[in-house]
Amino acid sequence: MSQAGTEIHLTLNGEDVTFEAARSDTLLDVLRDNSYTGAKRGCDTGDCGFCTVVVDGDPVKSCIRPAAQLDGAEVETIENLGTQDSLDPLQSAFVDNAALQCGFCIPGMIMRSKVLLEENPDPTEAEIREALSENLCRCTGYEKIIDAVQDASSRMADGADVAADGGRLPDEQGCPGCDCHDGGAER
Amino acid sequence: MSKTDEPEPEEEAADVSLAEEANPVEWEEAANNQKDPDERRTVSKREEKDDARKIVTGEAKYAADYAPEFPDLAGSKIVRSDIPHGRVTDLDTSAAESMDGVYAVLTPDSPEVPDKRYTSAGQSYPEPSPWDMKVLREKVRFVGDPIAAVAAEDAETASKAARKINVSYEEYDAVFDTEAAMQPDAPQIHDGDDVENVQSGADYERNIEAHSEGEIGDVDAAFEEAEQRDDLTVTETEWETPYQSHCVPEPHTVIAHRDEDNRHHLIASTQVPYHTRRQLAHLFDIPIRDIRVSKPRIGAGFGSKQGMQIEPIALALSEAADRPVMVETTRREQFHAVRNRRPARVSVKSVVSDDGDIEALDMAAVTNSGAYGPHGMTVASAVGKKPLPLYTHTPNIRFQFDAVHTNLPIAGAIRGYGAPQGHLAIEGHMDEVAHELDIDPIELRSRNAISEGDLDVASGILKEKEYGRRIRSCGLRECVAEGRAAIGWDDIEQPDADHLHRACGMALTIQSSGVPGDELGAAHIKMNEDGSFILQTGAVDIGPGADTVMAQIAAEVLGVAPEDVLVQPSDTDISPFDHGAYASSTTYVTGQAVKKAAEDAREMLFEFASRMLDEPESAFKIDEDGAVSERTGESVSLEEIGYESMYGDEVRAHVMGDASHCTEESPPPFGAQFVDVTVNEETGEFEIHDMVYAVDCGVALNPDLVEGQIEGAVHMGYELATGDGITFDEDGQPEVLSFRDYDMPTTGDQPPITSRIVETHEPTGPFGAKSVAEIPVNGVSPALSNAIRRAVGARVTEMPVTAEKIKAALDEK
Repeated sequence: MSQAGTEIHLTLNGEDVTFEAARSDTLLDVLRDNSYTGAKRGCDTGDCGFCTVVVDGDPVKSCIRPAAQLDGAEVETIENLGTQDSLDPLQSAFVDNAALQCGFCIPGMIMRSKVLLEENPDPTEAEIREALSENLCRCTGYEKIIDAVQDASSRMADGADVAADGGRLPDEQGCPGCDCHDGGAER
Repeated sequence: MSKTDEPEPEEEAADVSLAEEANPVEWEEAANNQKDPDERRTVSKREEKDDARKIVTGEAKYAADYAPEFPDLAGSKIVRSDIPHGRVTDLDTSAAESMDGVYAVLTPDSPEVPDKRYTSAGQSYPEPSPWDMKVLREKVRFVGDPIAAVAAEDAETASKAARKINVSYEEYDAVFDTEAAMQPDAPQIHDGDDVENVQSGADYERNIEAHSEGEIGDVDAAFEEAEQRDDLTVTETEWETPYQSHCVPEPHTVIAHRDEDNRHHLIASTQVPYHTRRQLAHLFDIPIRDIRVSKPRIGAGFGSKQGMQIEPIALALSEAADRPVMVETTRREQFHAVRNRRPARVSVKSVVSDDGDIEALDMAAVTNSGAYGPHGMTVASAVGKKPLPLYTHTPNIRFQFDAVHTNLPIAGAIRGYGAPQGHLAIEGHMDEVAHELDIDPIELRSRNAISEGDLDVASGILKEKEYGRRIRSCGLRECVAEGRAAIGWDDIEQPDADHLHRACGMALTIQSSGVPGDELGAAHIKMNEDGSFILQTGAVDIGPGADTVMAQIAAEVLGVAPEDVLVQPSDTDISPFDHGAYASSTTYVTGQAVKKAAEDAREMLFEFASRMLDEPESAFKIDEDGAVSERTGESVSLEEIGYESMYGDEVRAHVMGDASHCTEESPPPFGAQFVDVTVNEETGEFEIHDMVYAVDCGVALNPDLVEGQIEGAVHMGYELATGDGITFDEDGQPEVLSFRDYDMPTTGDQPPITSRIVETHEPTGPFGAKSVAEIPVNGVSPALSNAIRRAVGARVTEMPVTAEKIKAALDEK
């Protein structure tokens, strides 16, 4: 960035990071400038939700959140969820329900759904529709996305027994109900 | 469903006899193309979309996600006209040029900016669209015309510099309505002498980009006869639709740079990489060999990206700035400066007998092209020739259109391509006829609609030559039955409150599968040592899952799992040629090329298997064990063949296959849309309970993906029926420039969508498939309008349907 910058200290996906940011930079600018490209730029006005990330536990449209205000914040992006070999249950539910087409809205949609399910593990369809109503999708008519969030909710409930101790499984034991992570030696 | 119980008059039979003979019902279909459901290995299975995992992890890379790979990447800003009609008299760029961090400022006079005319329409060559635009424009014709462009160290600096460019205009009178634009005293938007590749019927003094008409039978005579006879009813209706935005999630984005070989490389969010390459070569006088267009993941297209809109600006900026440049449009530009669905006014007149036989259909469309002509002639044609084949039995049919310029945003290609506007008119009209004659609307359609074995002549209504399209698969009746049951057509219960009325409405739908005789798809497949394959096609997956379907088709032929066929994204340096993702052609046209290429590779597999097992090639078939001798049951795995083919002792040859596919066939998919609505007769407010769409797309090669197409297209059709679209003030300034102002349905207000797949078998399609991507967008407007008509007797003919319009129609009764 050319303008007089400032340093922003964040906890990003569990790690302490320091980014350079111009005064006018948004959180989305800073993330994408630093190769965290999972959050997408769809409008720059906070109206589409493609850039949704989690800041201090809340879903946030990163395209309208000034980066300079975030010093010390805890930020989670799609990059913190599962990997392609080991998807998290919410991601698996989107894959298995074919709840994606072009995919541009999906990282934001998943991050918004993640917060919903943390706050309300067993949402009704109406509650899902309400929670996701600021995340647009042009490809799916939302049908399969709503199916996926409902499915994720039941997958996570099925895994609740093993998740009660903080999500760790006994060593060397795979998660039986989903592919949330391999083995139990999570560190 | 067809009127086969009535003998055809002889002279009529003679008229179509040549087309009948040239298009027999019989089709020589390869034995392996038709598989019973239990014989299918991967086609018609819900296979996982091949990019699903990288999408949910955020690793899928769209054009802008390549930015980190270019450390010296410049950002950019396009300066656009803020008046609807005029001429730029002065462009003062000095303040912008002297700013720190600005690399290049381009105007129409810059040496890097081509002065040639072209069309942005990404169509076949020569494009059936007028060459009426330049890359940067001195004459401006709408609010949004590009007049200058800036490259700078980042997009923000470029935007600041762009604001410092001082533009002076000479303003002209502007016209925003198609009827007014055709009047003799209307401002003239284009000088015909300045347009190349002019389309048929153009009359630029009246702002007409194209005009055409065609007739089957004698329509005037049918109307004259109707005047004399009591048993013939004449019905007249008129319909209107607004500007609609594609709302593509990913704004149009291009990175242009010179690669290490000094060639021009564009990473572009495009549906048409090959057309873009050809058009850039023409514009910039660069040899085709020196241009590479590659398509990463695309954040959807819906026709918006079937055109070369920002690519020339990106290329010119990268030349002027001498470094990579990214042009990333804003959402604001997406709404007014990129492309939209063209508004249309369509009138329909019919003659129908008391029995419900349609004797004549007379249809006329006026479409609003906006300021330039891409897709203007072809979309306006489609308004008639797409839906009319539903009623191709009608002995007298006439269709005419005018594609008219106004000083409003440029219309382009968008899902449905004129068919939604035409379906509203035809299918809305059918319910009015049913009401006039007191016939059940489904019964009226059943009596007249096209069916399997028919020769469709209506789609050729604008052709000079005799034309017929044989219908070899048609599940229209089954779609109606399926949708009727799913929506509960026969079991609607009225609400308790007296002022609430509930009813279902429906509409038939039809589309095509590719542009007949035009589109070319090609494929190349090569085997790895382990028996997996790499498939290269020009099929442009813009989100619906084309790459997945291509893998399924190849996998079905080669006996492997679809994940063992790796599909490379479309790239003009790597992929075989393809016209691109449009006209509902990818599965039908490119899919057939993939099938043939895989069969070509399978021949080589059998040659190796023959040598390895000492059996004749003809003895082999493919199954999950590899190549299996049907005589002995002995088999050799693809991995064994793979190693033998590359490192064996006898013959070494890479197992590969190639094929092209281009066809005169374009079998229509069919479908039936149903909408269940309750209307408040006091206020006009309405609530949609369900929207059911049943489709016949032949064999659904991947039902998950087919349902996705239905649900997404019905969503878009619902918005066309109920959203305000893009509106303008009296000075032609767009009033809708953000998602906040635009009525795109959200999870909060999108009514439920129920999809149903009715399987037929299309003998000309790969494993029996037809298209599905566009057809489900066609039916919501007429089905909703018809449902409201049936519920409370109020007819809304002008989209969007609103409570105010329903109330006004009720008050008029």
